[in-house]
Amino acid sequence: MTDETSSTQDFIYCLAATAGFGLGQPAACFAARNAGLFRSDDHGQTWYDATTSLQLSQAVAATAVALPHDFERYHTVLAGMAGGLLRSVDGGKTWSVPPVPTPPPMVTALVLSPSFSSDGIALAGTMEDGVLTTSDSGYSWASWNFGLLDLTVLCLAISPAFRADETVFAGTETGIFRSTNGGRAWREIELPIGYEPVISLAVSPAYQDDHTLYAGTDTQGILVSHDEGDSWARLGEHFHGEPVNNILISPDYALTRALVALSSGQAWISRDEGTSWSQLWSDLSEAGLEISALFTPAGFESGQPAFLGLYGGEIRQITFP
Amino acid sequence: MPTAKKDFQTPGVIFQPATTRGMQQGINTVLNAVAPTLGPLPRFVAIERIAMRDSMPERLDSGGTIARRIIQIQGRDADVGAMFIRNVLYTLQEKIGDGTATAGVLFQSIFNESLHYLSAGGSAMRLRYFLDEAVPLIQSELDRMTMRLKGKKQLSGLAATITNDSELANYLGEIFDIIGEYGRLELRNGRTRAIEREYIEGIFWEDGVHSREMIFDKTEMRTNFEDPYIVISDIEVKEPEEIVPLLELAVKHDIKNILMICNGFSDRALGLVLLKPNLERVKICAVKTPEIAMTERIGALEDIAVMTGGQLLSSTAGDTFTSIQFEHLGRARRAWATSDNFGIVGGKGNARKLREHIATLRKGFASLEDAEDRKKVLKRLGKLMGGAATLWIGDSTPNAVEARKELAERAAEAMRGAIRDGVVPGGGVALLNCAALLRQSIPGMTDPDQIAAYRILTRALEAPMRTLIRNGGGDLDEIMAEIKQAGPGYGYDVVKREVVKMSDAQIFDVVSVVKEALYAAINGASLALTTDVIIHRKNPPESLATTS
Repeated sequence: MTDETSSTQDFIYCLAATAGFGLGQPAACFAARNAGLFRSDDHGQTWYDATTSLQLSQAVAATAVALPHDFERYHTVLAGMAGGLLRSVDGGKTWSVPPVPTPPPMVTALVLSPSFSSDGIALAGTMEDGVLTTSDSGYSWASWNFGLLDLTVLCLAISPAFRADETVFAGTETGIFRSTNGGRAWREIELPIGYEPVISLAVSPAYQDDHTLYAGTDTQGILVSHDEGDSWARLGEHFHGEPVNNILISPDYALTRALVALSSGQAWISRDEGTSWSQLWSDLSEAGLEISALFTPAGFESGQPAFLGLYGGEIRQITFP
Repeated sequence: MPTAKKDFQTPGVIFQPATTRGMQQGINTVLNAVAPTLGPLPRFVAIERIAMRDSMPERLDSGGTIARRIIQIQGRDADVGAMFIRNVLYTLQEKIGDGTATAGVLFQSIFNESLHYLSAGGSAMRLRYFLDEAVPLIQSELDRMTMRLKGKKQLSGLAATITNDSELANYLGEIFDIIGEYGRLELRNGRTRAIEREYIEGIFWEDGVHSREMIFDKTEMRTNFEDPYIVISDIEVKEPEEIVPLLELAVKHDIKNILMICNGFSDRALGLVLLKPNLERVKICAVKTPEIAMTERIGALEDIAVMTGGQLLSSTAGDTFTSIQFEHLGRARRAWATSDNFGIVGGKGNARKLREHIATLRKGFASLEDAEDRKKVLKRLGKLMGGAATLWIGDSTPNAVEARKELAERAAEAMRGAIRDGVVPGGGVALLNCAALLRQSIPGMTDPDQIAAYRILTRALEAPMRTLIRNGGGDLDEIMAEIKQAGPGYGYDVVKREVVKMSDAQIFDVVSVVKEALYAAINGASLALTTDVIIHRKNPPESLATTS
């Protein structure tokens, strides 16, 4: 990373990129960081502050960023910030601050409907205000947390078949809640670990067929459900006691059964639905570098590129071993 | 003073066969009035008005309510039978809100068929034993058929089956998709002829500010607080000195807004908090302690305490505001108050404790039998879910509004059961499938009383579907033959007048309603069958004696 803002205090919350990023095609990537929202248009070679048009007097932490899959045509970017949300409809050149319920929320997660360009639906998880929803592409946001008994939302996951099933999952400080009506109401999901924090969620790309989702917990490892969250099983003891900060599912999960998990600054891969795990890029942890965010543009096969957000703010391109 | 007593009938002891004859007459009289109300095309029962006799009679299609309206019938022995079945049906309605017509039809079939068997020399006690024995068998078969409803469309389908009112059903489907089985639904008389609905975020009570002086937004006539602290109490503030420790606490911790729930707030105390220097430091909005009955009040305050992370200051425990501590205060993202209501949005209590508290209430709810107690717990649970729906029910006349509202109430109760426990194919199909199961088990039996009991139940389980078809004006034999040919899961759509697969046609019955109706019918009929003697009393109890 070649910007001048990376420091030991900086932290990268998430990376989001347009199709083709890291694959040699014209593309953009956004990084939500403590130092603000950053952008790269040269496959991660250089990064710059994406919100300069706002002329902020001081950096505002960006905690989440999301792009529609047809960004090239639709040009909308949504970003979660400490104290609100940002919206751009010109690919990140200019930004507006949409009205949100007061007091200002702290956004922790953002997900867009797979049909965002037509339905305009997005959901934002917050630290104290539950889930905010928009159905006009982020122009206005409302909180409607019926049944969401824990308003500290740590992660969100949306069904790839959202248009048909309207299913969204929210991981909170006391477990998982599910909405089957696009976030208008939530129901508790019973977990075998009791009321424990769920800090990451990942839905299978073939969710409508395999009904599978994974949940990463703070201290209880990874849980898996194959029935849309009705029942859960613990996946071994590999991550027990360690926070599972992020779970990524391979785009060809139906064939490869591959998952990547970030835990305690290290990346791990499983090619058997989470039964066994092996560490990725162990040389980084040997060098004392910790991973906080991961973006994989083309799956987990050997030789495919990956972008790692490291503690301190560095973003490094690397390939799968 | 001389006491004039009403002319009550003479006392007497009635033995068989007069007991059974009388009971049967009374039971059939009531059930013949209830049976036509079964199904989506019910006939109505007109109830003569006691007062205002020239006004429109009350038109009812609810079996439980019809039974309740029958307070006496002619013939003393028959009256005992009528009151017996009245109690069975009304208790069922109180408990689950629906299923009374089904229970009535089942009861009538079991009771009358059993009497035939008993008159041929069967044993009533042994018959009762085998009737009761079959209950778990049928219930487990119903469990096997149970499915879960998901989404607005399926829930609307269920509501349509219950109400036969498509407009109301659509609204109920949408609302229950959002509020779920424990959510808060307020049913109110409509402002127009149409039905309207409204959703409110957060938790609110029908108690407002103690003084309009505490409404700080005079344009909206409302107080809105962001990040307020909350005092949770049923204590009355009488003297200004009592409020001073709270003001000091606010200054010390830089608290800007306080929503103060208390039982009273004197004008002198009000004068102190509204002093300009005090107002510049902290705004206090005092609202009335919710609920009147002590147990409900304490329950409501406990709920607020858990939700906001505060502590309840209770007058009965001897708490006062003079000893208030920072840790007593609850917190929320927002709070609001008007002259009639106050609400809290986004309580900052411990979410784990809140979920445990709700789980405890749900457990208690499941074990409660009394309808009133269930209502109270449901009300608390609904509030804790963090939102409410209000359905404004309109219609052409006040009577029609009341009838529609009662229908909505019954449907709402049944829908909560459906979401909680699941549904089975409707239109009597589930019970018909159970009849097939019983029929299959008869060939292995040797005890004549057991065989008789199972045959009686087999016929009874077909009775709801038969009655439904008859009420819908269909050709009973032809349709029953068509259904049997179509196979399990198929039944008669009375509205469309065709044999359909009930799950495809979204015609469902709530499994808990079917099970309770079945249990009430079998258990009630068993009890009626084993009643051998009726005792008529000379006088009513002393407390009911009238004096002139």
